[in-house]
Amino acid sequence: MATLIPSIACLGVIGRNNNPLHIQIFPSYDPATNTYIPARTSLQFHLLLSSTLDVFDLRARRNAAAGVGLSGDFGLLHAVDDRLAAYGFETNTGTKFVAVVDMRGRRVDGGRAPGAGGIGVGGVGTGGGAGGGQVAAAAASSVGLREGEMKVVFKAMQTAYIKLLQNPFFDPDEHSPLTGSGGKKITSKKFAADMRRIGENWGPGMTVL
Amino acid sequence: MDDYPRGSLDHNIPFLLTLGVSPPNSSSAHNPELSKSIKDQAIQVQSDLPTLDLPPAQALLHYIQERDASNLPCIAYEHQLRYRFRVKSAERSFLLPPRRARLPEGIEAPPGAVLHSPFSPLTPISPLYPDGLIDAQWTLKHQELIPSVVLCFYNLVSDPTQTTLGDNQIKSDVNKLRNLLIQAGYKIKLAIVLLSDPVGDHTEYLQDRIENIRRGCALDPKSVFLMPPNETHEDLARMAENMLITLYGAAMEYYKELGRHSRKKRGRGVAPPPTVPPTTGTSQTLSLAGWNVRYDFKSAVLAEYRLEMENALRSYEQAYENLLSSEVVELIPSWSPRWNEARLLADVIAIRSIRCLLWGAQNSAAVRRWQFHRERMADLVERLGRGTSNYGWEAWEARWAIVMANLMEKAGIPEFDPAEMRLYLIPEKNILGERLQPWEFLHHTGYWYRLASRHLYARRARARAMPEDDRRPPGSSPASHIASRGFTYDTFMCPEPHEEFPLEHMSYQGVDHNGMIIDCLSRALREFKQRDQIRLAAELSLELARELNLRQEWAKVVELLRPIWQNMAFRKERWPTLAEEVSWNLRTAASKVGELADVVTIDWELLDRGFTKRKNWQYDIAKSLQSTTPETKPLINIADGQIISPISATFVFRDEEGKAGQTTRAQLCLCSNAHAESAPIPFSRIEVRFNGSINTLVLKHKAEEDNRRQKHGTIVLCPVSLEDVTPNDREPTTEDSTEDDRGTELQGTTDLTLPPGQTLVFVLDIPLREQGEVTALSVIASLETESFDLHQSLKLRDMPNMTHIWYPTPSTRKRITRPVSPLSLRILPRPPKMEIKSEIKEQYYTNEAITLDFDIYNAEDVEAPSKFDALLFCDEDEASLTAPSFTVEVVSEDSNEDNKKSSTSSSSGRESKVSSYFLGDIQPSNTTTVRLSFPPIERPSRYELTLRVVYHLPTNPGTTIIQTAVYQLNVFNPFEANYELLPRVHPDPWPSFFDAEGIQPLSLPSQEDNDEAVVSYKGLTQSWSLLTRYASFASEDLKVVDLDVKVLRQSQPGQQSHGPQPMTCLITRRDPLPDQGKLVKPHTIETTSFDIVAQKLSLDDRGPAPLDLAMVIRWKRIPTSSPEQDGEEEEVINTTTLPCPRFSLFGIEPRVLAQVSYLSEGPDSLTPLILLRVIIENASNHFLTFGVSMDTSDEFAFSGPKLSAVSVLPVSRREVEYRILPTGLAPNGSEEKGEGIKVEVDGGDGNREKKKDGGERGYWIKPGLTVRDKYFQKVLRVIPASEGVKLDAKEGGFLVWVPTGASDEDGGEDGDV
Repeated sequence: MATLIPSIACLGVIGRNNNPLHIQIFPSYDPATNTYIPARTSLQFHLLLSSTLDVFDLRARRNAAAGVGLSGDFGLLHAVDDRLAAYGFETNTGTKFVAVVDMRGRRVDGGRAPGAGGIGVGGVGTGGGAGGGQVAAAAASSVGLREGEMKVVFKAMQTAYIKLLQNPFFDPDEHSPLTGSGGKKITSKKFAADMRRIGENWGPGMTVL
Repeated sequence: MDDYPRGSLDHNIPFLLTLGVSPPNSSSAHNPELSKSIKDQAIQVQSDLPTLDLPPAQALLHYIQERDASNLPCIAYEHQLRYRFRVKSAERSFLLPPRRARLPEGIEAPPGAVLHSPFSPLTPISPLYPDGLIDAQWTLKHQELIPSVVLCFYNLVSDPTQTTLGDNQIKSDVNKLRNLLIQAGYKIKLAIVLLSDPVGDHTEYLQDRIENIRRGCALDPKSVFLMPPNETHEDLARMAENMLITLYGAAMEYYKELGRHSRKKRGRGVAPPPTVPPTTGTSQTLSLAGWNVRYDFKSAVLAEYRLEMENALRSYEQAYENLLSSEVVELIPSWSPRWNEARLLADVIAIRSIRCLLWGAQNSAAVRRWQFHRERMADLVERLGRGTSNYGWEAWEARWAIVMANLMEKAGIPEFDPAEMRLYLIPEKNILGERLQPWEFLHHTGYWYRLASRHLYARRARARAMPEDDRRPPGSSPASHIASRGFTYDTFMCPEPHEEFPLEHMSYQGVDHNGMIIDCLSRALREFKQRDQIRLAAELSLELARELNLRQEWAKVVELLRPIWQNMAFRKERWPTLAEEVSWNLRTAASKVGELADVVTIDWELLDRGFTKRKNWQYDIAKSLQSTTPETKPLINIADGQIISPISATFVFRDEEGKAGQTTRAQLCLCSNAHAESAPIPFSRIEVRFNGSINTLVLKHKAEEDNRRQKHGTIVLCPVSLEDVTPNDREPTTEDSTEDDRGTELQGTTDLTLPPGQTLVFVLDIPLREQGEVTALSVIASLETESFDLHQSLKLRDMPNMTHIWYPTPSTRKRITRPVSPLSLRILPRPPKMEIKSEIKEQYYTNEAITLDFDIYNAEDVEAPSKFDALLFCDEDEASLTAPSFTVEVVSEDSNEDNKKSSTSSSSGRESKVSSYFLGDIQPSNTTTVRLSFPPIERPSRYELTLRVVYHLPTNPGTTIIQTAVYQLNVFNPFEANYELLPRVHPDPWPSFFDAEGIQPLSLPSQEDNDEAVVSYKGLTQSWSLLTRYASFASEDLKVVDLDVKVLRQSQPGQQSHGPQPMTCLITRRDPLPDQGKLVKPHTIETTSFDIVAQKLSLDDRGPAPLDLAMVIRWKRIPTSSPEQDGEEEEVINTTTLPCPRFSLFGIEPRVLAQVSYLSEGPDSLTPLILLRVIIENASNHFLTFGVSMDTSDEFAFSGPKLSAVSVLPVSRREVEYRILPTGLAPNGSEEKGEGIKVEVDGGDGNREKKKDGGERGYWIKPGLTVRDKYFQKVLRVIPASEGVKLDAKEGGFLVWVPTGASDEDGGEDGDV
């Protein structure tokens, strides 16, 4: 039986001024046509990435109130619906990485997941309270995500971003001007290739990207 | 959730019915709906006693009804309540459904048939008959028809005559009621509350009565409550609480009993046979599995009554699994109505399960349960039903999402309070580490409504995709077609295809998808807004706007989108795709509504190249409103940063500074960032505003060919000439009249049309009027068309890291880097055109009165009233130096006007100044000469002379103009001198110690100014020769007129100031100066000697006496060669006094003087006879004896004592004489004798050298003369005291000059002495 496992539907790099620096969209499996097409339109992905900024703002406010966690992994930002969910990470310079995961983005036949060896089918537990058992049995066909499973993605993105920053011709201030609004997009082909590699290769349970 | 049958989903709460008091409002009245078949058979329970309307009864009822728990949140947080009741009130009677339904007429009961409840599938009158599972009727029965507790209100009559009667009535009524309930077969708890009359009563007696009534009614003590009269509200509340808690226990018991009954029936394990075997349909009856579902469901619901949620959940899940097992639902054919009933039941069970999970705060489990049910249903529908690819399924999906939202709302999860700002909840601890779907984090209802809206979109899309044939009403299409579409479309809880999406010409309305979507989106929007998810809210607003567009509710769209569009984060954060989406949507609606200002603003913004270019769209801002004809011309003012402007402006001053009265060059760049191929923007006016003294600059449009324009690439350089336009000059058009407070403007006209992508660089020469700082603030670009006026304001910014470009030509650019912003200019004051000229000399000399003339030339165009300031500042660090005061005066050309007053400076310390000396009006091109006169300055010093001419022009009286000139004034000493005091022998004998009175004083006036009584000096006299060597340090030739040495007045502190000086001096210059004076060249040394004869006042005073001398040189400058000035230039003789170091004369110590004189032997004699006199002076009071010895020498022969002892009396002197004849063994040739005194300047290289300065020839010999103090055995130094004797610096002793005569002159030797 074919199983649908999570895959990355979109990777976004958002600058300090909340301006989009780089957006890459990845195709997801479409059961209706049995093909891989993007889950949403480009506009919808833009809207989706932009909406995560609400969550970043909200978390930043709450963190400021609590006096903790100035930056770093924000974990699940929000699930847009039962299929797409956005995860976020913020560097200490205010650059934000957003990974939109399509929970049913990739089809795996017979449980042989290429490049995703660590998928635990039994990972979905017994659920809460009575009646959870049956729920778990049915939910096992779709694979969830553990907390912190997206860290590897953000680490890879950050590595790619650091590589970009090391380029002497890349001026971060041009991309997130201190004036506080706008900025240029990242045009580095190498960075785009890195993003593509990360987005295409990631699967649940991966520890290295 | 409202789509589900009433009562099927309600949270079940124990039902309390009050009897005997009329309910205060109809909502709480017990008025159950009963179907007709049941109503016919219903049992009426009626009390015969009249209704109580007394206030205490009403108050109590009111209190009880207020405690109704129907609307409390379904969550365990509210569980702390000690009772929960659903309270209804009946007046005197209520209906109970029959426990066993009679068979309908016409149906013969088979023998042994058992009658069942009318809600059971066993009963023919039930809609479930014969094979239905369970429906909402059953839950409704318990929730609304059959109370668990009936509470009767009775009045306790206080009238003693009537008490027995009243009590008996109560007793009989209660008994009757109980009998009725028992008859009906229900185990309803009966309780009574007795309200005692207000009239006082004895408590014991009352207790007896109550006990009596209780016994009479056979009620247990917990069922009888007394409501004492005149209770306060608190007492009433306490009493009512107690009562309700007691009743709640009874109710729990009631529902427990029912649950037990239900479980007992399930435990039987057989399907009960229906009362009458079914004869219609499949004649199939409910299977055992079906019965189990029914029993489990009942147990679960009854457990819910008891708030045993865990039990309820377990029973629900059991029922659910059984229902969806192969034995129940899979046996139901999908065409059967029972199929949909089963699905409905499955939904109901799932919903109730989810509610149970939410009750226990198992939020993620609830989401899982939700998803699980959806997947089960999808699977079921796919396998057995009509699949998931139709609108029916999407409708269900949407409903399912809304159900979740509704459940969460009912549960009222406190963490989801909007103030908590939570988007989702953290899962329960027990599943936290698992692989979780992100959706399993329970998100707030906004997400659920949004999910529902997505399914509604899908539903609409599916519905729209239906072929027309399927959408025909049943009557107008062939029956076969209808049959086939029955298998295609899932109509579970949604209408048939022809109602879902009717054909266009149908008279009836289809399903309002649009409205449903709008409803969902609005709800979601509210939730997102409450949690500050502004961007997501904007996204939803966009979706909502699209739906509203479909309804053509343009005004609503504008109302919705405009606030978002006005300050959307998309614009500020540069998400152009999102911003343009909002803009286009708003534009569409705004143009329909007639919000033309918005339309133009949006068109203006979307002109920017950052936005996607829309195909087939005419980008021409001027024609923005072409399609509409506005009634009034909209005026649009766009502030800076309000939108993304398609034009940008920069402004640069070329220079950092400018001067008032001049012009400065500046460039205003107007850069278009409009879409390529868009129409050029025809600006009509561009305004630049400054803060500071530059007036507003206005460029007006004038279409013209300007050949001064230069173009290269996208850069167009346009020089614009500017002119001042005062408000009076301005054309009094109506437009200007309103804003005529603008003041003077700088105006220029040029072609302001800005083609896309181009940069217009206006080159401006801005005249500067006043000094100060000026900063360019903002640019307002105005676009005035026939249909609208648009004013875009652009702030001119200077950010760090910003590059400012100057275009020298269109093809070159220069980056301007400056510490100050290129947007600002420092305007310096108008440069002075007054000139100060002077021919100041390089050097001035001490003791010379200095007069400096300064010419002040007015190069201004007009006369200038001027004032003159002069400041003399001493440059030296020495504190003792002060600046001399000086006078200033105007040298007037006509000499008779000499009333010009001069001004003398005020000197303080190192400064000396004249302020605001009024020079008068200086006519243009005229010169006024100012003379500064300094008194002779005594000491060499340097000064800085700062002159300022302060004036203003009559044309601009407010502005003072200052011209400053700084000069260096150097005052030097023109001469320097050094001195040598040589002892000489005074020819006069010393006064006798024994005849002091007979001493003759010197015949000279003693001191210069000692004009007191002539003091006769009778002390010792000494003769000295002062040799002065002075040199000119001037830079030019000077003429020395006179030389003198004067004695400075001695005013030592130890001496009395008025007494005669203890010593007098007579000074005579030896060499006279020429009459015209002596020309002294710079840096040449001149020598002059003076003879000094000093005499002490008294012979008793023989101690050393100081002598302070000063050399006085009187000199004058050599007149300049110009002959005409000779007469005018007065011969100013300056006196320079050079103080000499202090000399010491006299002394008590004995002194030996050597004097030589040459005895002329004859002209032919080459070797003169030398007379050497050795004078020993003893000024002490002692008798001294000296040994005088003369060594023999090869150099000369001598006569005189070779060795003798000389005794010298106190205050006397003795002389020893030698005659020396040199042997003439001159080592070398003789020297030349020159002029002047015979003093060795070179220091004497040795006695053998035959050189004396000057031209005299001769050589030195060294007599070995020794004078020794016999007593002290000390050799006295022989002091040369005449010419021809000098000290031998190397070997000690002294040398005597032997002249050899002038060999080359015939003059021979001379004896000067």
